Amino acid sequence: MTLQRTVQIACLTLFLGLLTSAAFRFVGWLPHDLFLRLDPAAALLTGISARIWLGSFAAALAVLAVTIFLGRFFCGYLCPLGTFIEGVDACICRPVAVQSPIPANWPRWKYGVLVFVVVAALMGLSLAFLFAPIPAMSRFFALVVLPLLQPALDLLLQLAAPLADKFDLTGLLYLQLPLPRFDNQWLMLILMLLILAGGRWHSRLWCRCLCPAGALMALCARRPLIRRRVTEACVECKLCALHCPAGAIGADPRSTSHAECIVCQTCRRVCPTQAVGFSTGHAGETAGHPGFARYRRMLLLSGACGLGTAALTLSGARHLMGDTGTRRITPPELIRPPGARPEDSFLRRCYRCGACLQACPTNTLQPFGLATGLPGWLTPAITPQLGPCDPTCMICGQICPTQAIRELSPGERIWAKVGTAQVLRHKCLAWEFDRKCLVCDEVCPYDAIELKRVPERKAAVPFVDEKRCSGCGFCEHHCPVEAVPAIVVEPMEALRLESGSLRTKARAIGLDLQIRRSRPRPAASDQGPYDAQNDALPPGFSE
Amino acid sequence: MKIQDRHYPPSAPGPDEVERLSRRVFLKRNTGLALWTAALCCGIKLPRPAGAAEIPDIAVVRGERGAATRAAVDLLGGMQRFVQPGHKVIVKPNMSFAGRPEDATDTHPDVVREIVTMCKEAGARRIRVLDHPLRRGERCIEGIREACEVHGENIVQAVSNKRFYQTAKIDQGRQMKSTDVIWEVLEADVLIAAPVAKSHSSAGVSLSMKGMMGLIWNRGIMHSRYDLHESIVDLASLLKPDLVVVDASRVLSTNGPGGPGRVLRPDTIIASPDMVAADAQAVAMFEWYGRKLSPRNVKHIRIAHDRGLGRMDLDNLRVKQIQLG
Repeated sequence: MTLQRTVQIACLTLFLGLLTSAAFRFVGWLPHDLFLRLDPAAALLTGISARIWLGSFAAALAVLAVTIFLGRFFCGYLCPLGTFIEGVDACICRPVAVQSPIPANWPRWKYGVLVFVVVAALMGLSLAFLFAPIPAMSRFFALVVLPLLQPALDLLLQLAAPLADKFDLTGLLYLQLPLPRFDNQWLMLILMLLILAGGRWHSRLWCRCLCPAGALMALCARRPLIRRRVTEACVECKLCALHCPAGAIGADPRSTSHAECIVCQTCRRVCPTQAVGFSTGHAGETAGHPGFARYRRMLLLSGACGLGTAALTLSGARHLMGDTGTRRITPPELIRPPGARPEDSFLRRCYRCGACLQACPTNTLQPFGLATGLPGWLTPAITPQLGPCDPTCMICGQICPTQAIRELSPGERIWAKVGTAQVLRHKCLAWEFDRKCLVCDEVCPYDAIELKRVPERKAAVPFVDEKRCSGCGFCEHHCPVEAVPAIVVEPMEALRLESGSLRTKARAIGLDLQIRRSRPRPAASDQGPYDAQNDALPPGFSE
Repeated sequence: MKIQDRHYPPSAPGPDEVERLSRRVFLKRNTGLALWTAALCCGIKLPRPAGAAEIPDIAVVRGERGAATRAAVDLLGGMQRFVQPGHKVIVKPNMSFAGRPEDATDTHPDVVREIVTMCKEAGARRIRVLDHPLRRGERCIEGIREACEVHGENIVQAVSNKRFYQTAKIDQGRQMKSTDVIWEVLEADVLIAAPVAKSHSSAGVSLSMKGMMGLIWNRGIMHSRYDLHESIVDLASLLKPDLVVVDASRVLSTNGPGGPGRVLRPDTIIASPDMVAADAQAVAMFEWYGRKLSPRNVKHIRIAHDRGLGRMDLDNLRVKQIQLG
């Protein structure tokens, strides 16, 4: 196996290993988002659209800097999506050497894509989630592939249970894997299939013709320091051009389009006369870069498309224009994770890598569908029916690579109101059917449900104290009423701050968000819902 | 150790008298037995279990919770009465709320540890402390897991994966005819309930019978489809603990089950092999919302008694109260 293949497989393994360890909540010494940080397109688009500089962008910048010296090594060696595409292509495509070459102008498209997304980003619309390679790869494996494997592992554990029982391996017997389920996995699959579909025409068509990260690196790699050189020994057999997976070798095999070359060194290996080498020095020719003059029209058109896409999207009724936009459609089920920035800023930053969704221990975070229009595709939303949002858990903010969800301290976390619950009285067992239930009160970690006696009801009925409700969704999750539960959380009054303390803000607007055990115990005279004068017996008791 | 015997009818011998059984006492007792039987036949009095008169039906011990737990079980004849060598034992505490001990929402770890220790001493082959917690499992069981670590890792488990549950028919079920139960519970030789004593806004109190809801998968249906109290009794007919140890070291007297509410500190442990009797004793002993209530006021205790799952007629049961020095 060649060095390139070894590095490629090692990187893909590392990438998948990091994702898997994140799925099982294992924290290693490598950052879980190592590869996300290396993606120059993700960093550039997030930086431009959100107008921010993050420390993690330095890694992507370093990749571009090294590209100036080494060429597109990232594409040839490190990129897990590139390796994945190559693997899939190897299964569905003919070998590179027998493919018909792609038309010469196709590789230029990627500059068009780059201009398109950069202009959109300048307008404030981040399309990194559609075009940046690593977020797409992360999302696909974290939310589509791994959730298929986890139940399979769980099944194995189930089969191993009798053995574990026999040999008293309690740890194995009671091993409970996280079994996340995700919504909209078909949408994510289709996005990945679109990337893979290029293999129909040519191996790594996405990398060569569409990838904006590839385009960025191609711009840096027009004359790398270490590059392909061809000596006098060349007999112009054109074997190298035939085998080049990047189509970087032109009609004259001595010339190289370095912007296309992914330094895989296939040409050096196939050369019968050892005329090809990769080195510094002066020997060999460089194919004259055709420049962008001929493509000016295409690039201008791409820019115009970016402008139009952004304008059309941002002016849509479904675009949530930050805090000031009043005329808009807000889907009632779009509950953002605790600490999420104001919607506009959140969407500019979030590149849908799926890290928060994968890390969420209660599986409440789900990739949102199309109800927010294009810019909200696959963004994380709390889905209380699947799981509650634990008021002591801060993992989504800790893991978010772009801090679209802010990292909160434990003191701040409990003040991160994501919405407000409301009782649907016409479905409530206590309100509508006069039955004893009150599970919502039992499970509420904030003690925000007040039980009150009302006329014509034997059982106490629940009321939500909106000052105490954080929207965590424990009530909705545990409500025994099926289909739409009798108590539901909507993103009303969610606290979304770009900066500053959530606690200070929440206190300023009169919220009282404390978890149960921090609340003062009621005074001896306080009987809760029990009114000793009027009620025959305390709640739950009967004659 | 100060011993107070309560509710001993004059015909029954005290513990000291058993050794010196005279003809007179024998006749007296037989006469008493005959009268009681006659009374039962007329439906006047319910019987007390025959024989072993010195072992109470309910043990109530005041004192430091660990020692009190042990003393209470010892009064009932010691753990070896319930757990034989080689047995598989399930302990079901309440560990659903991740509260601190002073919140009185969960069984105190010391009580659970003492129960596990006694089971070990009695020669149990396998002990599990199980619950299906409402909140994130790891956090809920932390305290009890730490307390029980001396007896081995993995004793305490929060079971929140469906694959651990197995469907069981409830033959005596009136409303709920079957439910999914943690499979090891179904296979266990001994089930010990170790609830904390607390009020419950819809069940009145949450004690051993209500606590059995922590061993099944679908609890919501007991609120939505069935009558909560009826289905608690249905479940109790399937999951009937061999021993109940009610942790009333602290009692959440109002605003249960989640609190925060008024917490009493009776420093008491109640033990009984009869789940209905243990629950009834806890209801009768403490104030709920500042009131003295009778076991009859808790619908599921009443139904369980009527259906013969146990007894709530405390006046006819032998209750032995002691105070640890």
